[in-house]
Amino acid sequence: MMVGALILTLAAAPALAVIGCMAARRPRAAEALNLIASAVSFACAMPLPFLINGQQLQFWNDYIMIDRMSAWVVLCTSIVYFLASIYAVGYMRLLNEDKRLCTFYALFAGFGLTTLIGPLMNSVGIYWIAIELTTLVSTFLIAFERVAESMEAAWKYIMVVSAGISLALLGTILFYWGGSFVLGPSYKMTWATLTDAAPQMNPALLKLAFLLVLVGYGTKVGLAPMHSWLPDAHSESPAPVSAMLSGALLNTAMIGIVRFLGVTKAANLGWLPQCTLVAFGIVSLFLGALFIVRQQGIKRLMAYSSIEHMGVVALGFGFGGALGVAGALYHMLNHSLNKSLMFFGAGIMMRAYGTKEIALIHGVGCRFPTEGALWLAGAIAITGAPPFGLFLSEFTIMRAGLKPPFSWAVYVMAILLIVIFIGFMNHFRAMYYQSTQSEESKGDRLSGWCVAPMWLSLIPLLVLGLWWPTHVWDYLASIAQSLNLEPQ
Amino acid sequence: MYERSKAAPQDNPIAPVDDVGWSALVKGGSFPMSERDILLQIAQVLTTMLLAPLIQGIIVQFEERIQRAQGPGLFQPYRDLWKLFHKQIVVPQTASWLFFAAPVVAFTCMLVVPILIPVLTNFPLPLSDMGDILGGGLILTLGSFMIVLAGLDTSSAYGGIGSSRAVMVAILAEPTLILVFVGITLLAKAMLPFVVNHLLVSSWAVYWSPAHLFLVAAFFILLLVETDRMPIHSSTHIEVYMIDEGRILEYSGPLLALIKWASAMKQFILYTIFCNVLILPWGLSVEGTAIGAAGAAVALIIKFALVACVVVFVETAQSRLRFFRYQEPLAASFLLAILSIVGTQLS
Amino acid sequence: MLVQHLSPIASSLFSLLAIACLLLSFVMLGSRWLNNYLYAFAAESWIIAVLSAAVGFYGNYPELYLIAILTLLFRGLLLPYLVWRIIRRLDVDREIHLFLQPSTSLIVGALFVMLALSVSFRIAAELHLQLTVATLALTVMLSMKLIGFLILALRHEAVSQILGLLVLENGIFLGSQILVPGMPLLIEMVILFDLLIIVACFGVLVGYLMTHAGTTSSLDLKRLVG
Repeated sequence: MMVGALILTLAAAPALAVIGCMAARRPRAAEALNLIASAVSFACAMPLPFLINGQQLQFWNDYIMIDRMSAWVVLCTSIVYFLASIYAVGYMRLLNEDKRLCTFYALFAGFGLTTLIGPLMNSVGIYWIAIELTTLVSTFLIAFERVAESMEAAWKYIMVVSAGISLALLGTILFYWGGSFVLGPSYKMTWATLTDAAPQMNPALLKLAFLLVLVGYGTKVGLAPMHSWLPDAHSESPAPVSAMLSGALLNTAMIGIVRFLGVTKAANLGWLPQCTLVAFGIVSLFLGALFIVRQQGIKRLMAYSSIEHMGVVALGFGFGGALGVAGALYHMLNHSLNKSLMFFGAGIMMRAYGTKEIALIHGVGCRFPTEGALWLAGAIAITGAPPFGLFLSEFTIMRAGLKPPFSWAVYVMAILLIVIFIGFMNHFRAMYYQSTQSEESKGDRLSGWCVAPMWLSLIPLLVLGLWWPTHVWDYLASIAQSLNLEPQ
Repeated sequence: MYERSKAAPQDNPIAPVDDVGWSALVKGGSFPMSERDILLQIAQVLTTMLLAPLIQGIIVQFEERIQRAQGPGLFQPYRDLWKLFHKQIVVPQTASWLFFAAPVVAFTCMLVVPILIPVLTNFPLPLSDMGDILGGGLILTLGSFMIVLAGLDTSSAYGGIGSSRAVMVAILAEPTLILVFVGITLLAKAMLPFVVNHLLVSSWAVYWSPAHLFLVAAFFILLLVETDRMPIHSSTHIEVYMIDEGRILEYSGPLLALIKWASAMKQFILYTIFCNVLILPWGLSVEGTAIGAAGAAVALIIKFALVACVVVFVETAQSRLRFFRYQEPLAASFLLAILSIVGTQLS
Repeated sequence: MLVQHLSPIASSLFSLLAIACLLLSFVMLGSRWLNNYLYAFAAESWIIAVLSAAVGFYGNYPELYLIAILTLLFRGLLLPYLVWRIIRRLDVDREIHLFLQPSTSLIVGALFVMLALSVSFRIAAELHLQLTVATLALTVMLSMKLIGFLILALRHEAVSQILGLLVLENGIFLGSQILVPGMPLLIEMVILFDLLIIVACFGVLVGYLMTHAGTTSSLDLKRLVG
């Protein structure tokens, strides 16, 4: 029961950190507690994919379930949580909010906890509640800076996401209803039972339920027409929270869509579910490209990039097959690493220049040689250029889509990715190479807490781009099979 | 005659259901029409004519009482009519023949409608098959339409304003009225008031079904609007926002009496439909005897007094809406009618 | 499924309660006073509690009595109390600027009900349901969902938006009581608690909004665009 103990520790560490941070009156203690908790979670999550051996393990009266996909997503989440916790130590000291720092870390650990346990929920209803809890906790993190903008962002976030996610609840109820014709009025609605019952359920009801769930969790993922909360929330929260929102939260909600997609595949509903997902992906990419090109705020730029990448992930799952699913999951990991790096860099620049406007940031390369280089490398990586991980995963997803029903989507995707590349690089050119009249003091000393996580995210990103281990490939490809996402 | 009307509705997709069909409504064996039925039919019209001012009097009296005033007495409308009939007619120079025709036509319309609806008996009388609910509504509307024309005819400012306001309210009320009729039709699978009456008397389940209750509520709002009651406008005083009073400001003497009487009869007819068809379908003469008819008339007054109590309560509790908010109660009524249709589809 | 063998009395009771709920959500749509929203919401919750108990009684689900009591306490008393405290603190008692007049929004709501009706007819036909209560529950669930979104879209006051969200939840809860009464108790209870936390969070957030943004109307929240 090694896995059980690991999962328990994984969840217990942040939970204890929440209590500890609330009890501790000193900000440094809270900092340390959160950092330790995140390190412990990371250490527990790391071996999970190796230990589970392809089987599905259930714990706690079947309420907790771990399979290859949830182990993978938990790994992504724990990496971001760990990196963000390191970064938070340095970043939050800059804010001079020592009095409220204990609350911040309690909420931060709570956010980590909810995003970590969300993917592990076996019951569809409980999963919904976990997702709702992530919303509630993160709202207060977004509102942490207590200025009008962050209040507005927090309000929009909780309003839009709660309303959207209530659609997912409706969809879940309809799934349960559909199942009750097969399994009788009372049954445990786990992912496995739903998948088993799906072939006998009514297809029309399943379609309606799936569309509702897709729109509901899609709101949380930030897929395009439902994305309106995302740029606000990502740009107005403190940088470590932005990284968590983008790198951890979105994946946690994505996994729900993917599991429901698996259920509909089992029911053999034809192309409708995948087509909708692909359509949402394309719209997200399109919207992301549009707003990236004309963006003025540095963190909003990153936020729209998150929408774009979630669109890419949606495309991967929509294309399906071993290639698509493996590519999408690999993309999740790469995006988590890379987006953390981008938000870390953006946080540093924002503090150093005292603005979120791209136009007011000049000469990053001269002022911050090391950090600037790291950030630039991240920017190249996030647009999907080689030799970084995102290039590999995007390329794999495109290969997956080059089949009759979706080949058009691949061409659109390629064009939009090029547009995004140009737009992104243009913004970075302006920030790095625009001539600066007033030469500022060269080489501000930045806290090592802020710089270390940037290294820690860039190096694996580079490694993942150069070398996609065969084991990881097999691991990810087998997920496609377990989700029924292989082509018929 | 009855045979034809039995066949005619069945051409429609919405034919009367068999158990409460037209043939079942006609009293067994009284075919061809008996003299008693003709007398009863005449009695229905006379009841409407004679009792209509009384209802007006009851409402006015209740209202005054509830406001702690003495009140003019139950029979004041009769005295008013009497007085007006003994006065001289003054005609504006701009008036055309319409000015004379309108009151007569309006009054005649109100005489026709009672033939179509169950005032005293719960079975159809001779000529009751001339029209269904929609036909009755049409004739009622013709009456108010004539008054609208008469208001415009004299080309006085108040008449024009009153007419235009009346038409606006009618435009707002008409879709709802149609929807209510559709709802009634879907509920009873027939457009004949007698069928609806029988259905409601025979089945408690239908009576208490949401569909029926919503119809009652929707029709009640329409009743308030069509009889010039409070949330829309008050007919009791001559004021700037008047609607009905504005249209007939130029009238005097017997013509005015005819118009007032006609409007009282319109109110009576709408109350009759509301009570005998929708909300209190009991207490009608089943056998058609003289005693029964007289009893039905008394029961009618009691029912109307009950409804009048509610109307008076609404009038007292509710202040008059601004002109631009007239659509609100009507929108609510529209909504209730929709809900009722949804209810009939699902029950 | 419960509704397959229902006595006529039970099914007409269910439909009456469900339609009453729908009507109350129209009261919210047709008014511009925050207090009216609140009373309508509280009444709706009470009706849902009665419905839970009725489903428990006719369908032999004893655990639904517990749900009914909790619904009464949480949705019927505690949530309205929390929202009432927010209203009292805000010093706002009605919607001032409306995109649509209440009467127009009533009409739009009525059209939404017809849309919901047609969708649930399709679903019922697919499932070969002769059971009208199930269709009605589906209709009410979908239309309350649509009306909730309409309230969210048309009203700007923070309190109205909170209540709009609660109407969404109420609709789902009502539908689930009739359609899937056998849903695991745990989930229903957790959803109830969850709702409580949401409203508490909203309360805190509205306070922050008032202090730091100086407004509680979403019309004034337009700093973040693009």
